[in-house]
Amino acid sequence: MTEKSELAEEVVELVARLGGRTCDVLVADARVTTAEVEKSSIKQANFLADPGIAIRVFENGSSGFVYCTSQIAAEVNKAAELAVSQARAGIPDADFKGLPEPVPLVAVDGLYDPKVAALRPEEAVDLLLLLVDEASADDRISSVNAGLTVSTGEVALANSNGLVATQKMTSFDVFAEAVARSGDLMFSGMDYASSRKLNPDSPLTVGRSAKEHAVKGLKHVKAQTGDYPVVLDPLAAGYILSTAIGGGANAENIQRKRSYLAGRLGTVVGSENLSIYDDPTLEWAIGSTSFDGEGVGPRRKAVIDKGVLKTYLYDSYTAGKDSVESTGNSSRGGAIWSYRHPPVISFANLVVQSGDASLDEMIEDCDKGVYLRVTFDSPNLATGEFSCLMMESYAIEDGDIGPAIRQSTMGISLLDMFSKIDLIGSSPRHAFGVETPALRISSAKIGGSG
Amino acid sequence: MEDLAEAVIGHALSLGAEFADLRIETISGVNILVMDGKTKTVTARIEKGCGVRSFVGGGWGFAVCNGLELSELKTAAEISVRLAKVSREKAKLSFKIESTKPIRKTIEYPCRTAPSTVAVADKLSFVLGLDKSMSAHDERIVSRSASYDDFEGDRIVANSFGTLVKTRETWTLASCSAWGKSDGIVQRGHEAVGNVGGFELMHTDAAARCGEEAAELAIRLLDSKPVPAGKFTCVLDNKMTGLLAHEAFGHACEADAILAGASVLEGMEGKAVAHEDVTLVDDPTVSETFGFFPYDWEGVKSTKHVLIQDGVLNEFMHNLETSSRMGRPPNGAARADSYASPPIVRMSNTYISPGNAKKDELIGDLKEGLLIKGGQYGYVEPAKGQFMFKCDEAYQIKDGVVGQRYRDAILTGLIQEVLKDVTGIADDFELIDPGYCGKSGQDARTTDGGPHIRVENVVVGGLT
Repeated sequence: MTEKSELAEEVVELVARLGGRTCDVLVADARVTTAEVEKSSIKQANFLADPGIAIRVFENGSSGFVYCTSQIAAEVNKAAELAVSQARAGIPDADFKGLPEPVPLVAVDGLYDPKVAALRPEEAVDLLLLLVDEASADDRISSVNAGLTVSTGEVALANSNGLVATQKMTSFDVFAEAVARSGDLMFSGMDYASSRKLNPDSPLTVGRSAKEHAVKGLKHVKAQTGDYPVVLDPLAAGYILSTAIGGGANAENIQRKRSYLAGRLGTVVGSENLSIYDDPTLEWAIGSTSFDGEGVGPRRKAVIDKGVLKTYLYDSYTAGKDSVESTGNSSRGGAIWSYRHPPVISFANLVVQSGDASLDEMIEDCDKGVYLRVTFDSPNLATGEFSCLMMESYAIEDGDIGPAIRQSTMGISLLDMFSKIDLIGSSPRHAFGVETPALRISSAKIGGSG
Repeated sequence: MEDLAEAVIGHALSLGAEFADLRIETISGVNILVMDGKTKTVTARIEKGCGVRSFVGGGWGFAVCNGLELSELKTAAEISVRLAKVSREKAKLSFKIESTKPIRKTIEYPCRTAPSTVAVADKLSFVLGLDKSMSAHDERIVSRSASYDDFEGDRIVANSFGTLVKTRETWTLASCSAWGKSDGIVQRGHEAVGNVGGFELMHTDAAARCGEEAAELAIRLLDSKPVPAGKFTCVLDNKMTGLLAHEAFGHACEADAILAGASVLEGMEGKAVAHEDVTLVDDPTVSETFGFFPYDWEGVKSTKHVLIQDGVLNEFMHNLETSSRMGRPPNGAARADSYASPPIVRMSNTYISPGNAKKDELIGDLKEGLLIKGGQYGYVEPAKGQFMFKCDEAYQIKDGVVGQRYRDAILTGLIQEVLKDVTGIADDFELIDPGYCGKSGQDARTTDGGPHIRVENVVVGGLT
């Protein structure tokens, strides 16, 4: 028992005394230290202490959720009373079948790195300066903007079924944007790394990547509108899949007919070489957890197996509605959990099964194609249609990656994209919660300014 | 609370801060989310805390605590000074924060019915009404989400120049999403109504129509086709003009991006960056808008920012630091999404000013192009000079006639070129699109708008 788990249980008992028969309580405490660089100079260091409590009460399936930033008894009482009254104010919902029952939980390895927790601000600044030195090591780099964030979190979750679970988590995040100039030309390259483990090499890797892509983008061309093969860098693939699968397979979106994957369970949705798993047990991955936001133990599951859609992502509500077991995909948000939002359905760590294609093999038979590295667009989940700005992309010409492409777009339906994945790379990386290698799409519509 | 603020500022100065400020806040708010006729969640927030910021030489330190006891705030001040010194120790740049005239002011945003005085049942009844208006609109509406948010906050901004601004801030927001289905096709429509003010804003016609408009859009889109990709002349409606102003230009005019060497507009003040008919403004002083604020989160009086005047880049948006370093007067553009975040340079109400043309002329003159309506989202990288924004719906224009309806069009452009390609500005100005702008992990409430405008050479992303 910890101080936090005792508090969580006490609040569950408090809610019961107020008449709330079904509830869960999250007691969370996060400590976040950030160092920031602006134009290659250390600019700011921040420290956030963020303890708080979230109380969720169900009354006839209607849920009231209240959070407070105080652990003072009077204020927690007020929050509990409010949560009970809000649950009673809502519309009864017979689809809610109950919160998870307690089960023995096995701690997942690689959630907490004492080295992260012990890192002092001065050390964080020094690590960030290594990044700056690396990213600046080219005369064409005019500015480096970067950040390093060290987070430690401890949570205790208790519910009215007697469930009590606790865990400690860390996160070590590095981000860099390098700006290159040559005459009137200007371009920026970005990269980032995020892990539960302190990796002293990641500032160097991130800084080097940001520098190289900034410089590479100084040479650019316009694209002609047309259909081209597209190689998705892991950064682009991760960003797209985080919504396409994370949102598309979300059981809430499925049940409410808001997803292009509704009604497709057990059917072919992609090429045979495409397999995607959700794995909350990956060591040091930022989405890993010993239990989900409602206390369900970690479950690795295939979402797409050899092109066939195998499961949706469930929390307790949607699982009850479909009369299946929760897949353990209730999320309290982020690497270090937050008490400020009701739990929502999310993947833990999506993993795209790697193939055996090298990058050279993916581009060598493209006479004309596109290498898409960065986009921040989201698909239309209802239709499954996706169009995006190619924020950082490169022309593939005669089997080589060439200059950057300016002001161009890519469009394709997601099911078309999944079915047109003809090569899968062999070198995965973590990107936006997804561990994925590069993916080649045999053809997508490119809109260009040429 | 004023004494507490001044004691903490004094403590930071005594520890070596050259400048210090803080934001003390107590916040309450309710969110109600109804999905398909049932309450998904009724959420309430109860927050109080303080963010203390210290400055030494060229380094900032910022520390946050969730509590308002003097001892907690003093500890936060001590941490902020220590972090400022850590930053200063390794900083290559050295600068000062120029002193400003102290402001002592108490502000209350306009509010007739404080949300905290309205029973949750009444708020829920309003949201259920929105839900019903969507389901009743058309039997092809298969799913609905209706939500309501309110915010009431008391904020003290104090700094070591003697400023102490107390603000009572209240705002409310309703939003609706409807999904229509026909012949296996599913489409979504969305509408939002938000403003500073109390629950009285939920009794307006605009709020009452919010659900129907979302449902109507979802149904309209059912017979749409994917937009063709390529380069087009586009006529943008009021919302899309606002999104263009915000994404294509507003972000690149935030002075922190200029100082970071991460905006293609660095060194462009006084130079032509747009067609001479284009005037582009960010104005937090427009009352009864979602982006309204009379004093910013550093206690500086907000002012109208004319970013582009008659096609020429006129000014940037500043906080105390950027104005000090760039030798400009502070113009009140610093915002923080709560006491837990440091204030950064942000937009408010961003728009292109009206011209003299008629909307119908912009379309009627066009041999071939697209009419683009309703903004979903957008983003920009000022250092790359590229931006995009996504519309709700698009229409083919052929020989001046509006025809085939399209969906899911994204528009892309280059910051330094797009406004030079404006070839017509209508007189039908509206500032109507409330939403949130994200930057550095912080959300800020904003409004965008403008008249219909016509822009050449827009690259449109589509599937066909």
